Amino acid sequence: MEKIKQNPIVKKLGFNRIILCCVLLLMYLLFSLVGKNFAGLPRILSALNYAYFLGFLSLGVTFVIATGGIDFSIGPVMFCSALISGYCLNSYGVPVALSLGISILVGALFGTFNGYLVAYWSVPPFIVSMASMNIAKGVASVFTKTQSVSWPQSTSEQGWFRNLVKIGNFPVGFVIFLAFAIVCSVILNKTKAGRYILSLGSNKEAVRLSGINIKKWEMLAYIICGILVGIAAIFFVAAYTTVQPGYGDQYNNEAIAGCVMGGTSMAGGLASIGGTVIGVFIIALLQEGILALHFTKDYQLIITGIIVIVAVYADVVARRRKN
Amino acid sequence: MGEVILTMKEIDKSFPGVHALDHVSFEVRKGEVHALMGENGAGKSTLMKVLTGIYKKDSGTISYEGKEVEFHNTREAQDAGIVIVHQELNMLRHLTVAQNIFIGREFKKGFAIDDKKMNEEAKKLFDKLHIDIDPTETMSNLTVGKQQMCEIAKAISHKAKVIIFDEPSAALTETEIEELFKIIKDLRKQELGIVYISHRMDEIKVITDRVTVMRDGTYVGTLITEKCTKDDIINMMVGRVIYEDPKQHSMVAPGAPVVLKVEHLNAGKMVQDVSFELHRGEILGFSGLMGAGRTETARAIFGADPIESGDIYVNGKKVIINSPEDAVKCGIGYLSEDRKRYGIVVQKTVAENSTMAALEKYMKGLFINKKEEKKVTEEYVKSLATKTPSVEQLVVNLSGGNQQKVVIAKWLVRDCEILIFDEPTRGIDVGAKNEIYKLMNKLAEEGKSIIMISSEMTEILRMSDRIVVMCEGKKTGEVSIEEASQEAIMNMATREIG
Repeated sequence: MEKIKQNPIVKKLGFNRIILCCVLLLMYLLFSLVGKNFAGLPRILSALNYAYFLGFLSLGVTFVIATGGIDFSIGPVMFCSALISGYCLNSYGVPVALSLGISILVGALFGTFNGYLVAYWSVPPFIVSMASMNIAKGVASVFTKTQSVSWPQSTSEQGWFRNLVKIGNFPVGFVIFLAFAIVCSVILNKTKAGRYILSLGSNKEAVRLSGINIKKWEMLAYIICGILVGIAAIFFVAAYTTVQPGYGDQYNNEAIAGCVMGGTSMAGGLASIGGTVIGVFIIALLQEGILALHFTKDYQLIITGIIVIVAVYADVVARRRKN
Repeated sequence: MGEVILTMKEIDKSFPGVHALDHVSFEVRKGEVHALMGENGAGKSTLMKVLTGIYKKDSGTISYEGKEVEFHNTREAQDAGIVIVHQELNMLRHLTVAQNIFIGREFKKGFAIDDKKMNEEAKKLFDKLHIDIDPTETMSNLTVGKQQMCEIAKAISHKAKVIIFDEPSAALTETEIEELFKIIKDLRKQELGIVYISHRMDEIKVITDRVTVMRDGTYVGTLITEKCTKDDIINMMVGRVIYEDPKQHSMVAPGAPVVLKVEHLNAGKMVQDVSFELHRGEILGFSGLMGAGRTETARAIFGADPIESGDIYVNGKKVIINSPEDAVKCGIGYLSEDRKRYGIVVQKTVAENSTMAALEKYMKGLFINKKEEKKVTEEYVKSLATKTPSVEQLVVNLSGGNQQKVVIAKWLVRDCEILIFDEPTRGIDVGAKNEIYKLMNKLAEEGKSIIMISSEMTEILRMSDRIVVMCEGKKTGEVSIEEASQEAIMNMATREIG
């Protein structure tokens, strides 16, 4: 076992990530064996649709968790972004491209709001994000007068944005998502922002006493998260077109589960974008499998709940051992 | 003074690498106030922790009321009647006075707590001690002095026969101290045995009957307070042989410019009107006892804590420092006494920690130039002789001395000209200590200016070119190394207040 872990290729890819990949493959095999007609492209494409928006949420929250914070507003903010931009599109005749921009803007605004309160006012992230979760839901309902919003279908002239997900059977979204994941990974590992975000997540006071403006960098993590949440909204509507006000919280847990399963520590300071990506695919496949096996969505809630607890507990145990 | 109630004989206690108590003996009689004195790290607290069962002794005996005893925790000691009143009060701020006093042994009426009975009992206690406190008052509304009196009342309610006061006056005002002394005298009359730990000479003279002095984990001697002078006590506290050669004379070039000037600095209770100058190439020692305000002064200069008033000049120019960011821009680096919390990011590598304060220099556009980062870190690993398998090693895996070197590298990479070393060798073994000393001397020779805060007298006398002494937030003296002596420094560090 130790020998495998010390192998340079395994070290480079990360032992945990290799295990996660195996889990992903095993799950796919299991569902294919048990589920009727599970194997094949349609199910994979359907799971991918779920993985895109969830993936962007997860990438976003990875930055926040890296600082040692948490964001429970990502799901509802994603819905809020999709509803406001969709309403602008339908009711005010805003062009599609601009609507997509509005979606990102709304996400970024919520990210800035959360980040400012956490970094500059020192309000606990848990409280801030719980509150902005409600604010996001409320704002979306008020803005849309509690109506659900439907984005244009692919057949219509304005439906081009749905190509972001797939063209024919080609999963465009997969390519875009991976590209963003690589960018995120570069930000986290190769730029000043990433260095300081991870460092302050590990030991905020030591970073401050190195003469670094930690508030600025901590807020930036939330802003990056917000922008990615806005992009998640685009991929949500591109996959499903219809959004209802008042929902979105169920995705918080799933996004956080994907993130912590991938090896990002809830205590901050350690984050892996690669791990997050695989974690997200596991969650997406799980939800597809559960539907295929004719279980209700409730089982998925139970399972993701358990995943979060197990993943975080594993992290706690790992850290205790190190100390 | 009555008969002996508590005797500790030949108590021995070692921690890994430290012989904390070396066959120490100590006794307390009924109706006496017995002072326990010594420098920081002399072993006073350890001795009291052994007594109350927080630490297990390696050898020696404790007899209490004529019987040999061994307590396994404070609860057992408390039940037997030995209670510590701590310097930091252990009170639940949101509960009432009575609720605090009877916590863990509340009076009950059925399932409910009987607050009325608790208030009555508390009142009786206070009356007995002639203390005027309302038992129904919320704890957080009381002054620190009153809170301490509640703590004493709590001790009495445990039927205490021996009470240990651990620096009780540190946070009190003059009038509160007077009240405290009245109560202590009262307790003495009631035939309790009292241990009084304090650094304040004048208090020792006023309130205590005997003084026991400890030094470096050993018992030095016991004096009758009435028959001794302050100098007698100080001589016992510091009378050690200095093994390492103290510096004979200052290494600073005559006429070296002033690089840092601090004038009338105020920051809270622990930094009051502190002024001093630091010259280029100088090692300025900051001496004093625990809680003298040296770390607080350093943190205020570094912008880690807010300054209330005062001026700071760097290279003759007045600077405004509101945050560590500002201080670092002025070329000031601070090496904390608590490296793990304030110095290093343990989950990061040696290279990442080394460039933490100067990352701008190693950027290539938007990206960190990891090659350059590695190169510069390797240079410093070599010049500071840091022992690490590679610069990609996580600092958590390094020894204390090598972690300290990583922090030094961090400030050198940033080109800091003024370095504040706060207890630079705390928790570092002897060999590594000497290396750090050599390094500091080398830095000073190269023209860096160093403030060294240290609680170790030998370290102060060995390293400093000049010594500033602080006591209770105030600067109480300044001596050149030529004039410095242990006695002179200790005298300033324990100066009478008021």
